[in-house]
Amino acid sequence: MARRRERDLTLRQQLAGGPVDLPFLMLVLILTAMGLVAVYSASFASAYYESGDPATYFWSQLRMGAGGLVILWCTSKIDYQWWRKLAKWVMWLAVGLLLLVKVPGIGVTRNGANRWIRILGIQFQPSEIAKLAVILVFAAMLARRQPEKRRKWNKKMALGRVLDFTERIGLNELMPYLGILLGVSALLLWEPHMSGTILILAGGAAVLWAGGIHWGWFVAGGGVVGGGLWFIMNHTSYMASRLATWRDPWSDPRGDGFQIIQSLYAIGSGGLLGKGLGQSMQKFLYLPEEHNDYIFSIWCEEMGLVGALVVIFLFAMLIIRGYWLALHARDKFGALLIVGITTLTAVQVFLNIAVVINLIPPTGISLPFFSFGGTALMIQLFEMGIVLSVSRQIEAPREG
Amino acid sequence: MERERARKERVDDRHNKQRVFWRTVVLMVVFGALVFVPLAARLWELQIDQHEELQRRAVDQQTRDLAVSAERGRIYDAEGNILSISATVQNLVLSPKDLAAAIAANDEKIAQGKDAEPNLNKNYIAQGLAELTGLDAGDILERMEKTNSQYEVLARKLESEQSEPIRAFIAENKLGNGVYLEPDSKRYYPYGSLASHVVGFVGTDNQGLYGTELIYDQALSGASGRVVTAKNAKGTEMLSKYENFIDAQDGRDHHLTIDATIQGFAEKALKEGIEKYDVQNGGFCIVMEPNTGAILAMASAPDYDLNDPFAISDPEAAAELQAVRDSGDEAAYTKARNEALLKQWTNRCVNDGYEPGSTFKSIVVASALEEGVVDLNTSFYCNGAKQVADRTIHCSKREGHGAQNLADAVRNSCNPAFIEIGQKLGAEKFYDYMEDFGFLSTTNVDLNGENKGYIWSRKFFESKEGLTSLASASFGQTFRITPIQLITAASAVVNGGHLMVPHVLDYTTDEQGDIVDTFPVTEVRQVISEETSETVRELLEGVVAAKQGTGKNAYQAGYRIGGKTGTSEKIGADQNEDDYIVSFLGVAPANDPKIVVLLAYDTPKPSYPGSSWTAGGTYISGGNMAAPMAGPLMGQILEYMGVEKQYSAEEISGADTTVPLCVGYTEAQAAPVLAAKGFTYRLIGSGEKVTGQIPTSGSVIPGGSEVLLYMGEEKPTEAVEMPDLAGKDPDTVKQALGNLKLFMRGTGSAQFFTSSTLCAYQSIAPGTLVEPGTVVDVTFAENVTDFTQD
Repeated sequence: MARRRERDLTLRQQLAGGPVDLPFLMLVLILTAMGLVAVYSASFASAYYESGDPATYFWSQLRMGAGGLVILWCTSKIDYQWWRKLAKWVMWLAVGLLLLVKVPGIGVTRNGANRWIRILGIQFQPSEIAKLAVILVFAAMLARRQPEKRRKWNKKMALGRVLDFTERIGLNELMPYLGILLGVSALLLWEPHMSGTILILAGGAAVLWAGGIHWGWFVAGGGVVGGGLWFIMNHTSYMASRLATWRDPWSDPRGDGFQIIQSLYAIGSGGLLGKGLGQSMQKFLYLPEEHNDYIFSIWCEEMGLVGALVVIFLFAMLIIRGYWLALHARDKFGALLIVGITTLTAVQVFLNIAVVINLIPPTGISLPFFSFGGTALMIQLFEMGIVLSVSRQIEAPREG
Repeated sequence: MERERARKERVDDRHNKQRVFWRTVVLMVVFGALVFVPLAARLWELQIDQHEELQRRAVDQQTRDLAVSAERGRIYDAEGNILSISATVQNLVLSPKDLAAAIAANDEKIAQGKDAEPNLNKNYIAQGLAELTGLDAGDILERMEKTNSQYEVLARKLESEQSEPIRAFIAENKLGNGVYLEPDSKRYYPYGSLASHVVGFVGTDNQGLYGTELIYDQALSGASGRVVTAKNAKGTEMLSKYENFIDAQDGRDHHLTIDATIQGFAEKALKEGIEKYDVQNGGFCIVMEPNTGAILAMASAPDYDLNDPFAISDPEAAAELQAVRDSGDEAAYTKARNEALLKQWTNRCVNDGYEPGSTFKSIVVASALEEGVVDLNTSFYCNGAKQVADRTIHCSKREGHGAQNLADAVRNSCNPAFIEIGQKLGAEKFYDYMEDFGFLSTTNVDLNGENKGYIWSRKFFESKEGLTSLASASFGQTFRITPIQLITAASAVVNGGHLMVPHVLDYTTDEQGDIVDTFPVTEVRQVISEETSETVRELLEGVVAAKQGTGKNAYQAGYRIGGKTGTSEKIGADQNEDDYIVSFLGVAPANDPKIVVLLAYDTPKPSYPGSSWTAGGTYISGGNMAAPMAGPLMGQILEYMGVEKQYSAEEISGADTTVPLCVGYTEAQAAPVLAAKGFTYRLIGSGEKVTGQIPTSGSVIPGGSEVLLYMGEEKPTEAVEMPDLAGKDPDTVKQALGNLKLFMRGTGSAQFFTSSTLCAYQSIAPGTLVEPGTVVDVTFAENVTDFTQD
């Protein structure tokens, strides 16, 4: 097909053909490349002992990373306005996939949880799709938000008066969002998948926050979640022992404290400059999950404090650049999309690193771009593609 | 109205946009920066503040030391003889987990009808190993059940004759990882019990437990190398290319000042004396080089076999222990065994104090001379006893020594005279010298468990109540010092006053034999002047050389030996009244000391309780027991060290002379040749010329001996039997030997002509067959009055 001349394009097509944000793209590429190197080094020993080929995990991750970059580029080419219409279908897809985890033959059971499904030989977590779906739906809904337009209720009826009151304080407006969050959370907790639930709540809340929902609701929501956590921590024995291990991992060095102790050994023995790339000792089967959730520990051991801070700095730059793009987005939908995706990434980075350095009790959250897991990397790059597609439509600064 | 609403909507829209803007900025600040602050802070804490601690713990779990062990350094004596050396042996290790897995895999093969090992089952293996090791098959089976374990040591330190058949058994039955041999090292002591207390021994992990092995454990051990490997869930080794080797640093070889030959002489003298005088409680002997403090020999009896330190070496003690064991009282047996082991491991030279007795007078006289309170002309009068405070202290000679000068007092070992010397010195000065000679502190000798002895406090000693203590201290009674303290102080007395740090280590070398460290010869302080030291040496020589000297039984012709005898009552609640320690402190040559020797026997058994004589007829005292043993010992050592003999004019006639060649000469030709050497001769047969001679030319015999010249008659070559000379006087001995055509070289007391001089020792045991012309060393001893038992 012959390439159409620019003047033949619609305004939307012209806008969608703008340049991507180069700094953001570069940060994504750098982090992806570093992540691949980290996977190669961290998985070296496990891969060797499991299959005899120390690069098994690396090749897998490399293939998926390459595929992910293709997806990223294609996604960035798509006019993101399409996602307004596709959002609810993505949501339904996510819900369907979340239900599939419980279907025998498709759902994969690991450690007593059904977080994975396998379709056509591809294995992934539907919660990854659900995260994105919540952000898309929320962004699409909030972009249409008109806070000035209140629905009138019949005040003659008691229910009407109640609804009128809730309308005035903005609760009615929130109901669909709360419904979606509760529904998706319920499906995730059924798996069960606590960390996925946390991330979806965080992503959804960020979009709601940026979308202009009254701050009081966040105080209230934070209070409810905080209170719930406090109750769980203090009144269930499971969490109590987990908290005890968190406060003092050495109270049970061979049992619950083992993984975090091994992680601290790895990080601590890295020192300022690290042992050098590939020189980790802890990856030799001491530290479980060393190429998944605890890959940052191995990175710290090999690259030291300096290497760790470089990664943190790059993530911070990516996140700040993401929000910067949100601030300059052409419309509210684009801005909210980026806010959701960026916040999701930021929360994952924070929670993952906070866990491996024992700042917070363990939750199974992987590190974006770094942790081994092909489909997760692909979806991550897909999300980055959406951010880039929004960046294409940012107006160029006026000259002069 | 319409415009108003549109305006309002625009305002709302702007507000709405601003709100999105600012809320996003809040998120940017929070998630782009603030959340990373605690992460960075915590990383700093872990990687900088706690880096060393965490790394140490990580390295602890990541490294294994068993792969490369450093070879433990050897211990050599002064002549380069190996006293202690490590060799490779094998530990037999069972991995129940791997064995069970191997058996299971094999059973499966059998079930599938594949090629399998026929005998791979627990019973067969346990039975086979039991036969090869002497272990109980039931025990082995029991340990095979611990299938969680991968490391059960079945037998330790197997030597090759035992380990090789096991290796073959393992290979034959393909036991692989289930049962294997693991190299270990074992310490061997080629000289067995020689210098056992100095050399010491090691434990199962080759860690030093005693003696030099303990004191220099770190340098001997070296640093084991490490292979940095990770153990995975299966506990298998790492990829070899990820091993990080830290080379093992072999232990240093330690060269001691101990000379195995001198040590052998010392131990022999100690052992012979113990047998001869029926000594109940062992003894000790130290030989020191006085100018450096180097210990040439150190023996303590009872001793033990370094190759088997946990066996009770003394047969009597072993029999007693066996009796306790047979009684069935397990606790009593354990206690008795521990006591017996402790007793044989105790190095009496440094671990225990004892009462030095009159040997201590050498220290007292040196102190008094240095302080100037006595000189060689000071006169003393001994009427046999002296009153001190409320006590009467007797002299060894009850009737008294009469008028004496200082040399007489030392020679006679006169207690009243020494009480006087002590009093002249005064308690304060006396105590100062005890301190300066090192009796109040340890000597810091490089041996384990050094003690300080047991001496009064200065406050008590200088008080009025301490007067009797001052008196008894003057002749070495009622306090305890260690033998090493005494010999170190005595060395200072004779070496010009220099108190040295005694030591057994000379230097250490590395694998190439290059010297790494040398024990620094250290002078603690100069206690007395060179002149005083010289005077004391002369006084001590008088004790041995003089006709009436209490130490005359230590006399050796040709060597200028000085010394002091000692006989001390043992103090303490558990001691019998008859318990004495007899000792001799010797120095030679007196003009230029090369060795100082302290030899002591603890508790010679009297013939009946209360008797002053042993069943063998020896008067129980240092002069009659320790001196006659110490004299030949010192002679032997000096000869071994190549110290030139110095003869006095009287001695020259009896000095050893080489026999000239007479065969082929006529009597007229031979006579002047023999006369020139001081020999007399006797003709046998009636031929013209000498056809044979006894002894043959080149033999060394005492000067003045009679050479037998055979004039045509057959020279007898038949071996003769050595007679028992014990208790015979010199003339009888000479005649008995002469009849057998043997030659006597007499040593011991300076003159042989009193009726009380009797043969105490002969160098060739009675009953031995010897060639005619053989020279027999005969030591004569004379009863001396150096001590009287009250």
